[in-house]
Amino acid sequence: MKRHRRQLFTGLPLLLVATVVTGYLHRRHAGALPGYAFLTGWVLLAAMLVLTFYNVWKKLPFLPFGRSEFWLQLHLYLGYFTVVLFLVHLNFRPPRGVFEIVLAALFTFVSASGVVGILLSRVLPRRLATRGGEVIYEKIPALRVACRTQAEALAVGPDSQSVVIGEFYLHRLADFFARPRNFWWHLAESRRPVAALLRELEDVQRTGSEAERVALAKLAELVRQKDGLDYHRSVQLSLKLWLFVHIPLTYGLLVFTALHLALVYGFSGGAR
Amino acid sequence: MNSPNSAPQFDAHNYARPNQKWTCGHACEGRACRSGPDAWGRCQATSECRPVLETKPGETKGRWRCTRTEGACDEGPLPDGTCCRPIPKCAPVPTLRVWRGRITVGVVCLSSALLLLLTGHPVWRNRFINPGPVSRVHSSTAFTSRALTNGAAGNCAACHIAGDRGPDGILQAALQARPGMLELGELIRQPAGHPTGMDTACLRCHGGRNFHQPTAPLVSCSVCHAEHQGRVMAAAQDQNCGFCHANSATMTVARRPAVIHHFATDHPEFRFRTDQLADPDTLRFNHALHLTGATMPRLPGGSKLDCASCHQPDATGAYMRPVKFADHCRVCHSLQFDPDTSQLQLPHGSAGFVSAFLRSLSKQYADLAAREHPADVTTFVQQKLAGLRATVGSGEELERRVFFSSSVAGPEARIGSLSGATRAIFPGCAYCHEVKAAAPGNAIITPPVQTERWLGRARFNHAKHTGVECAQCHDARHSQATADILLPGRAACVVCHSPAGGVRDACSECHTYHQPPQIAAR
Repeated sequence: MKRHRRQLFTGLPLLLVATVVTGYLHRRHAGALPGYAFLTGWVLLAAMLVLTFYNVWKKLPFLPFGRSEFWLQLHLYLGYFTVVLFLVHLNFRPPRGVFEIVLAALFTFVSASGVVGILLSRVLPRRLATRGGEVIYEKIPALRVACRTQAEALAVGPDSQSVVIGEFYLHRLADFFARPRNFWWHLAESRRPVAALLRELEDVQRTGSEAERVALAKLAELVRQKDGLDYHRSVQLSLKLWLFVHIPLTYGLLVFTALHLALVYGFSGGAR
Repeated sequence: MNSPNSAPQFDAHNYARPNQKWTCGHACEGRACRSGPDAWGRCQATSECRPVLETKPGETKGRWRCTRTEGACDEGPLPDGTCCRPIPKCAPVPTLRVWRGRITVGVVCLSSALLLLLTGHPVWRNRFINPGPVSRVHSSTAFTSRALTNGAAGNCAACHIAGDRGPDGILQAALQARPGMLELGELIRQPAGHPTGMDTACLRCHGGRNFHQPTAPLVSCSVCHAEHQGRVMAAAQDQNCGFCHANSATMTVARRPAVIHHFATDHPEFRFRTDQLADPDTLRFNHALHLTGATMPRLPGGSKLDCASCHQPDATGAYMRPVKFADHCRVCHSLQFDPDTSQLQLPHGSAGFVSAFLRSLSKQYADLAAREHPADVTTFVQQKLAGLRATVGSGEELERRVFFSSSVAGPEARIGSLSGATRAIFPGCAYCHEVKAAAPGNAIITPPVQTERWLGRARFNHAKHTGVECAQCHDARHSQATADILLPGRAACVVCHSPAGGVRDACSECHTYHQPPQIAAR
């Protein structure tokens, strides 16, 4: 927390200073400096490439380019600053023409997905810590299978003596244990579905024999464990899924930017 | 952090390999094999161990031994040396990282294919990359034919090298552009408004640019004229004009000390005011009398004389047509020289015609008699000439009075009449005109000069100002002399044409950078 605060107190003033300086330079040179749009475009492209390099850097950890934490902070604040550069490059006017609109939309989506990613990265890990337990995402399927196996053994295994529990399992719990459930409910921090399931279990437990009660208590515990796994899966998957938008669109944006560059030079500089 | 010698603390058997591209297909069942898939996603599972052949001294065949790490299995290796416990093959599962990479590659490929498709098709290309509608002139059929005459393949190619080319042509043009892609220093070092290659294309049609000042620096057309901004090409911005006019050094060189940023703030007063110019017209006209005079008669139809009675807009409505005697003055100012003969009037427009008319009065009276009293022409003519002689004396005196008299008082000075069909007297030509004596018996009348436009370097549109009373700008009610230039000063314009007034006050509202040659040469 302290580290985050220190990073915030360093990065935010730097971002503000850079924004103010950019605004001042824009006001002073926007109409006067020749090739101003070209220059702002190149600065924007350089910033975008540095931002993209963060993704490459993570794949090449052996390169001596400093700590990942530093690069992440640079990525975040440079990302915010790139939005300022983008507006300056557009001269604070809406884009015109199909290609420019698509290009601007791509940039907006990439930036917005980045902001969403930052928010998720700030909020979701805290939720995981609050909920407790530490589960590696890749191991969740195996743990879920183990959970299901135990539940099946309790409810419909050879040692199970209760028809009531077997039926209850087949009708209400088999589907719950078979696959991940309640993705959106978990993201919304709601425990309504599992609470409802546990209430149903309690209802069965109330009328069951002593042996059935013991088995149902174990079953309830397994339901809670499975729900915990689903929660971890939902949150951890969300932490990974936003990158499925951010990274592909980033490279798509670079492809469009390359054409933009060719068009700008081919049609403006390379006039007939 | 662990010391370099410490053993790994994770369970190697259940290692999830989250950073690898593939995971074992049995991992979801909690039975991931130890080796895992290879880098290409192929299952590498064979058997639980690789038996080793042990041959004791004296033995020839030897014996296969199980090498399972968990301990030798009960069954042991098969006679041929293979393990008896083959690991069932799995279908390795790509990790999320692989899926992300696949989606990324897919997006890149899709984007590239889409862009190639769109830029490769001539019709789609123009629609796709066009940053905005081209101005009406540059998208007209006339422009197309002009472009074809110039050797271009079409409208786009008239200005852009890559206008009619596909992706390869666009790339080639981009690489040949000057300053080039990597010549950023050149971009910065270029003087502001430096002409570009695009200007060559402009000058193919717009040859011989006229600048309003010879000292105006040569700037690129595109500095002021931005294309692809809409069907109507936008007017130049104030900052374009300010490139010189807001620069004190440039203006000093041009010997124009005024530095102008905006019309409302620091535009100088109009020069006809600062130079205290006077209207050079020699015609005597009293605006105040005509507009406010108590004795001013009403026009036929009963309407009162006002500005619009004489000043009428031209076909465009922008400016006023010149005032003409026949159209605007004659309705009141008759040229009746004989008080008793209203049908006979002097000609207007030439002193020579007037002299000739007066010197052939008997013929003029005879023609009038032939029209109105054909029975007794001779008597009619004699009576009229006798009447004139009784009033004026001689023909020379009549001619002198017609030309030089300007007095409206006294019967001896009066030629025309206050009564009868006319509403205004005709004292003589000199009442309105500057009349000079020439050779004996002749007179020279200085032709009136009506200045068409006083603000020659600016334009004005009366049609856009119809909501404003004439008197708000033109103080004609207090003007008694022709020399008064009845135009408003800058302050009157600023009332509306300013940020406070709410009406546009851009330079281009009144001024044009490219002046016609005759004005530019002034």
